Amino acid sequence: MGAGLGGPRPPAGRDPQSTAFLYPFIEAEERDVGPLLADLAVSARAKAAESAALQQATLAASADQVAACGAAMAERFAAGGRLYAFGNGGSSTDCATFATLFASPPAGAPLTYRALSALNLAADQAVVTALGNDVGFDLVFSRQIIAHATANDIAVAFSTSGSSRDLMAALREARGRGLLTVGFAGYDGGEMAASGDVDYCFVVRSQSVHRIQESQALLGYQLWASTQQSLKRAFQQASQKTGPNPHGGTP
Amino acid sequence: MTGGITPDMLDGGLAEDLAAASLAMARRFAAGGTLWCVAPGWEPHAHHMAVEFVHPVIVGKRALPAFALTGPDLVPRARVAVRSGDLLIAVAAGQDPTVADLMRRAPAWGAASAWIGSGPRPPAGAADHVLWIDDPDPMAPATGRFVLLYHLLWELTHVCFEHPGLLTEPAECADEICVTCSDEGRLAEVITPPAGLREPALVRTATGEETIDVTLVAPVVPGDLVLVHAGAALTRPGGW
Repeated sequence: MGAGLGGPRPPAGRDPQSTAFLYPFIEAEERDVGPLLADLAVSARAKAAESAALQQATLAASADQVAACGAAMAERFAAGGRLYAFGNGGSSTDCATFATLFASPPAGAPLTYRALSALNLAADQAVVTALGNDVGFDLVFSRQIIAHATANDIAVAFSTSGSSRDLMAALREARGRGLLTVGFAGYDGGEMAASGDVDYCFVVRSQSVHRIQESQALLGYQLWASTQQSLKRAFQQASQKTGPNPHGGTP
Repeated sequence: MTGGITPDMLDGGLAEDLAAASLAMARRFAAGGTLWCVAPGWEPHAHHMAVEFVHPVIVGKRALPAFALTGPDLVPRARVAVRSGDLLIAVAAGQDPTVADLMRRAPAWGAASAWIGSGPRPPAGAADHVLWIDDPDPMAPATGRFVLLYHLLWELTHVCFEHPGLLTEPAECADEICVTCSDEGRLAEVITPPAGLREPALVRTATGEETIDVTLVAPVVPGDLVLVHAGAALTRPGGW
C-alpha cells in the first residue's frame, strides 16, 4: 500500500473507502480518544478565559464597594467584633476558605496582616444537624446568629442564587441585632440585592454556578485584603498620634 | 495585588492535563470507582470537590460517589477507605509530605491519583495526573484558581460520559507478553509481616491481597512499600 498522491487522506489504519472518520460522533462505538481529548482541552481553555473575564469585570464593578465594605469590617474587628460566614453546598466551602483567610492568614500573606476572629457556621455537624432536625433547615444559620452574635459582629453569606432561605433568615436576624451584613450573590443578585437586610451585596453577574463561585472566591480574597489594609491604616494613624515609644529600642 | 484567573492560565499543557485527567476519572467512575478528596492545607477544597460530584449543580447530571477525607492521620484513614479502582485527588503544595505519601501508596491500593497545586511542582511522576499552576504566588489557593481547576474536572468528566465508547480502558494485555502480567515490579504495601522465619507476609497490591516472600527485604513492618516480582519482594521502591 503506497502513500496517497494528493487529495484528502483518511487517518492511517482506516479503510480508505470509509468516510466514517469524517463523522466520529455517529460511530456507534468510538474508539479513538484523540478527538475527545482535543475537544476537552479546547473547552477547558474557553471556560478559563470566560472565568478570567468575569473575574475582571466583577472586580472592576465592585472596587468601590470592596473598599467601603473592607473599611466597615475593619471598624467592627477593631471594636472586638467577630465574623460569621455561612453558605450552602459548594458555597459553604467557599465561605470556609474566606473565614480561614481571616482566622489564620496563610503562610506567604503580608506580615502586617492580622489573624482575626472568623467562624464558618456550617462547620459544626452537631449544631447543623441538631438545628436542621429540630427547627428546620431554614433556621440552621439564623439560630446560630441568635446564640452567638453581638452588635459588633459581621455576618457574611455566600450564595449563587442570592435567595437561599436559610441565608436570608440569618441575614435578617443579623441585621436586626445590629451586625454588619454582607452578601455574595450571582445571577441578578436575587433577594439579597433587593433586601434591606444586606449592607453590602456583591453580585457576580453570570448564569453559571461554577463561574459565579470562581469570581466570588476572588472577591472574598479582595475583601479580606481590603479589611487588612484598613486595619493597617488605622494602626498607622494611631501610631502617628501616639508618637514613637519613649521606651522603645532602635527604630 | 494578587490576581486571579488569567486567560492563559491553562497554557503550557495544563488544558491537556485536565483533559487526560477527566477521561481517566470518567473511566474510573464508569467502572464503579469512588473519588477520595484530600486537601491538608486547605480543607474546604476537599469538601468542595466532593460535593461537586455528589450533588451536581446542573440538574440531570449523574450523582457520583465522592468523599472528602479531612483531619489528622490521612494516610491510615485513606488506606482503609480507598479500594482498588478508586481515585485519589489532592489539593496541596508540591512539598506536602502527607500528600506525597498518599500518592506514592496509591498504586499499591489500585487507585489512580491526581494532584492539584501551585508553586514549586512535586517530583516528576509523583501522581498519575499533576494539574499544576506554576505561579509561585502563595495566595493562589484563595483566588478562585483551584476552584476553576476542579470545576473543570467535573465539567469535563461529564462530557466524557457522553462518549460511552471511550469509557472502557483499553485492555492492557493485548499481546502475548506484557509487563503488567509478567508481574514485573508491582508495588505492594505490607499488611501483616511474616509470623516467623521462612513465613510469608500478607501484602496488598492493585489486584488484591496476596502472600509473598519478603526474605530479601526483611525485616518489614505494616505499611512498608515493596516491589513484588513472581511472588517475592525484590526491593523497596526508590526514596524509601
